[in-house]
Formats: sequence, structure tokens, C-alpha cells
Amino acid sequence: MPVNAKTISDDEFFFGHKACAGCGGSLAVRAALKVLGPNAVAALPAGCMSAVGFNFPQLAFANNAMITPFAATASVLTGIEAGLRAQGKKPDDCTVVGFAGDGGTADIGLQALSGAIDRNDDVLYICYDNEAYMNTGIQKSSLTPFGAKTTTTPAGANAHGCLTQKKNLFEIVAAHGIPYAATASVGYLNDFIRKVERARDIRGTRYLHVIAPCPTGWGCDVDETVDIAKDIVDTGLWYLAEYEGEQLCGQPGGRFKLNRNPREFASVEAYLRRQGRFKSLTNEEIVQVEAGRNATWETIRRTWIV
Amino acid sequence: MKEVLWHGRGGQGAFTAARLLGAAASLADGRHALAFPSFGPERRGAPMRAFTKMSDAPIGDRSAVAQADYVVYLDDTLLGEGWECELKPGGIVLVNSVRTFDDPRIVALDADGISAAVLGRPIPNTALLGALATLCDQVNAEDVKEAIRQYMPEKLHAKNIVIIDAAMEAAACQPQKSAQHPGCHPERSAQRGVEGSRAATAVALTVDTAGDPSTAHLRCSAQDDSGAAAGRPAHIPTLRSGTLDPSAFAHSTCFEAGYLVAKNAGWRNKRPVIDSAACTGCLQCYMHCPDGTVYKVAEPARGGAPVAIDLDFCKGCGVCAKVCAFGAIAMVPERDESEASA
Repeated sequence: MPVNAKTISDDEFFFGHKACAGCGGSLAVRAALKVLGPNAVAALPAGCMSAVGFNFPQLAFANNAMITPFAATASVLTGIEAGLRAQGKKPDDCTVVGFAGDGGTADIGLQALSGAIDRNDDVLYICYDNEAYMNTGIQKSSLTPFGAKTTTTPAGANAHGCLTQKKNLFEIVAAHGIPYAATASVGYLNDFIRKVERARDIRGTRYLHVIAPCPTGWGCDVDETVDIAKDIVDTGLWYLAEYEGEQLCGQPGGRFKLNRNPREFASVEAYLRRQGRFKSLTNEEIVQVEAGRNATWETIRRTWIV
Repeated sequence: MKEVLWHGRGGQGAFTAARLLGAAASLADGRHALAFPSFGPERRGAPMRAFTKMSDAPIGDRSAVAQADYVVYLDDTLLGEGWECELKPGGIVLVNSVRTFDDPRIVALDADGISAAVLGRPIPNTALLGALATLCDQVNAEDVKEAIRQYMPEKLHAKNIVIIDAAMEAAACQPQKSAQHPGCHPERSAQRGVEGSRAATAVALTVDTAGDPSTAHLRCSAQDDSGAAAGRPAHIPTLRSGTLDPSAFAHSTCFEAGYLVAKNAGWRNKRPVIDSAACTGCLQCYMHCPDGTVYKVAEPARGGAPVAIDLDFCKGCGVCAKVCAFGAIAMVPERDESEASA
């Protein structure tokens, strides 16, 4: 039976935590754990979700959970999985899941993640992407988009925030030939939940990349989290897609599948202007962002299954 | 030594104000001040405290202030039961509020109004700093303005100095507070310790919902361990009372999952209220709550909503109200709601 609002577990596995009001990351963790159930073993590196979930003696996780060194999320997942296997636990009984932020995944934890995928360890890695190092007070990561103001990419007369483009981590992960990878957004929660459920039942390494807005770092109101996470998909600046590796689809090299193909994009300008972090962008720069979006989608629509 | 205790929410600028006050008080030769914040891993919106100590001699005691000469509340929802325990005899409470208070020890100032008029949004810290300058002999208006010039970014100087003047004018109109009141019982205050204020806040803000039919099925989730009754889902972190036995963790690297020690109700200045007539039971609020505080009601009362909210842990973000396509959830200011139910 598919997991939906009616059938999802009533249990809360991430509850009473200290995340900011309206935190997108905590919504992603909560929703994923509700799908994975009480036997999931979670590992979290330094980052918001570990800082707000583990405040001794308070432990806001109802399932087993531990903190990993910053760079080692995927390696620790590998170790937990091996340990459970040695104890005779079956993969179907318990999912080994990691929750790391964009910095902990795309910068600091990238080699460990790459190694785990290379070994095809039986773990689920979920990157909650709030587009900067929010736990330490908003510094740029390699998943910070062009034009976003952070403390390390301040907006001034010459530069209007982040000068680099968001790293395409989804395709980097897919290029490993991983069995399953997918992108999601907390604004399309049913899609995210479906992908967590699908990933749960696949063996081998699985990777989910979920956009999780941070009102504090993005400069929006706390009640806008879900709305803005929907908006980023509707504008085409993020997309909902899946990659199925060769072992899953039988096709050499695997295949990409687009889950949502908007007939018309929502306004990029409105999306950027509603957030404080993009306040300094000029109209010309917004046109550039749109052009980048169009180029991405031209390739997606030409080469992926839509 | 004069001590000031600041109560604010993460993001309101309580520590900035504490620091500016310390800077103002230590401008002259031979004057000393300390300013420091106290907060845990809590985030924006969470109750936090900051401290300023001012003296003519070097200050060796770097511990948190338990009883202060001046206690400042940047948000009046933080002014809860037991506030007088934090006050030294003869001390004064300064609160950002439009309400009036019966107690002569409490001075209210509409710092949100003053700052919003100048900055366009309510950032109450410097208005309260200005008001404090009129109440407190350690600093005067010029000291505070000089501290702003030295310690704030230049673009903020002019507006904050306007705020200081407006706040001093407003505070000067307040009736003079000189009444000497005894502090609270010393044993009780010692017992309350450094976490006293937070506990007091939680008590004051946790409105008894027992008589409210819409929350009659309030799950026992995190209420307390004695309330763990039948019908509760198996896996929800629960709020424990009592102190932790060190033997429970001293010999192991593991610690019990789902162990909560504090409610998050004090984070909230607005609460969601469900209109059961408009609710269709689509469960979008339940799905999208970042804190998992919206829960399904097993057997809704006749005419009751199929969902309810655990107000012990709701932070009042308003995501539920925003995702509700039927307008069935309203965000009601916490103060109005508690008055209405009182």
C-alpha cells in the first residue's frame, strides 16, 4: 500500500527538536523517518539537524540515531550497515539512513559518499539542501545558488552575492552508476515520500536530494517554507527527477526520468524577489538566471524520459 | 555592581542591546562592564537570555545573573509567572508591551511601535536600551549613543539614535518607579537556579486545554511520563520529568532515544486555531508540520476537527495555516488566545 497522508505512520520519530520555527530540513527528516519506521538507524553529521536533535540529555529522535564526524556520514552508514548485518539483521528489517546538509554532502562529505556508492553499500543517503551552511550562521556551500547572499558571499557594490553556480550533485551521484538517485522538494511532499518509500525497498546505495528551505538563511517568513519549496520547482530552478541505475532498469548506463514537467514556468523574478538573500540581484542577473534555467531544461527535455 | 538580565527571542537583538549597554557603561576611565548571552542550540524564535554587568571595579564573577537590578523583556509573552524571583529588592522590570501592568515594579514601553516607526519593522532592542538609560544611573543618553556609534555598523547609527531619543522621551513620561519591594523568598530563588526563567515562561504560556473540546483528545505523546496512557502511538519522544540518573548513561556510549526535557511552547507568539467547520480532513497540515505537532484525532467529537495541535511543542511557524487550502487554520496572537480562554 502506498504511503500517503491517510496511511503514513501516526508515530513521530523526530519530535520536540530545537530547529527554528518553519524549518524545512526538520520537515524532510520527520517525513522520511515516518516512512522508514521505528527500526531505521539514522546517522547525522555536524549540521542543523544534529545540533537541534541531540541536546544531551534530550534526544529528539524516537529511533536509533547517532552523530558522525562531519566528513564521514556515508562511511558511518557503511559501518552501521555492516554491524547490523553481522548481528544477523536483514536489510528489510531496518533501513540505514543518513541525513546530511548541502555542505556535509556536496563539500565536506563528498568523498565518503562517493566511496559508499562505489562499494554499493546498502544505505540510504538523504541530502537536505538548504543551500548554505546554516548551522554555523549562513556560509556559502557548493550548493549555494548564484546570487544568494551569505556571510562569505556578501552582497555589495561589485558582487551581488554568490558568484558560482549550484553544483549539479544529482548528476554527479548518478554518474557513479548508483542503483537509485532522486531529487525532491518539501514543497512536493507526496513526491518526496514516494521516493523515500521507493528508495527504502531498493538494495544497494540510494541517494535522495531534497530541497529544504531555511527561513532564517533565505530571508523569508517562517510560514513560507513549504510554499517557497513548491515555488522553486514551479519556476524550474529545481526539478523533480529520478535516476535508475543499470541494476534497476536493465539499461546500460541507467536512465533519467523527469517526474514533473511544467507546461509553463512560474516567475523566476517573483521567486527570487520574495527572498532577502537575493535582494541585490539586478534585473539583468535575473535574466541570466532564467537563461541558465532554460538551457538546463532544454537538455533535460531532450535527453531524459519526460 | 549593577546587573541587567535581558529576556528575548533568538533574532530580536537582546545580546546586541546587552553589549551596547556594557559598552556605554564602560566608556569612562575606571568603569567596567561585562556582557554575554546565554543560549543553547536553540534557534531563531527560541527564548534566550543575555546579561550585562556594570561596575566601578573589575568584574571577576563571570557567571549568569540570577537576580538583577533591571530585568528587560524584549517580548512580553516571555514575562511569565515567577518574574519577581529574578528581581533584586528595589529592582525594576522593563517590558516591551502595549499593555499596562498593575505592579509598580513593571515599566512597559511600546518598543515595537517606536522601532517600527523609525525602521519600518519592529526591532525593539535599542528602544529598550534608550528607556533603560533613563531608569539606570550607570549610563546616560550620550553614553548610549556613543556606544551605538562605536559598536554598530555605520548605516544603522542615525536611525537607532532617533529610536534612543524617542524611547527616552516615552520612558520619561512613565510614572517614577521608586517603590521598594522585597524580593522573593531566597530559598525559592536559589532552587529555581539559572533555568528558572525558562521554566516560568513555559508554565505561563502553556494554557490549560483540558476544558477545550477541540483538544480533548490531546495525545499523551510528550505531555509527561505519567500521562503515557493507552491509545498513544508507540513511537513518539516523550517528555520526562525528574532528574536524570547518571547511572543511566555513565557506563555506556548510548543514550535513550526519544528523551525530551523541555517543551517548545515558549517559542511561540502566535498559535494555530482550527475551525472545525471549515476543516475537510485533507491532512495537509498534518503532513507539512515541521515539528510533527499536528496529529490525527482518533475519534473526533461530533463537529470536531479530525486533527488537533500539540501546543506543548508547536512553535507557531504558521506553515499549517499556509498549506490549508480551505482557510480552516487561523494564527491567533498568543496573548489574545490566553486571555480568551482565561
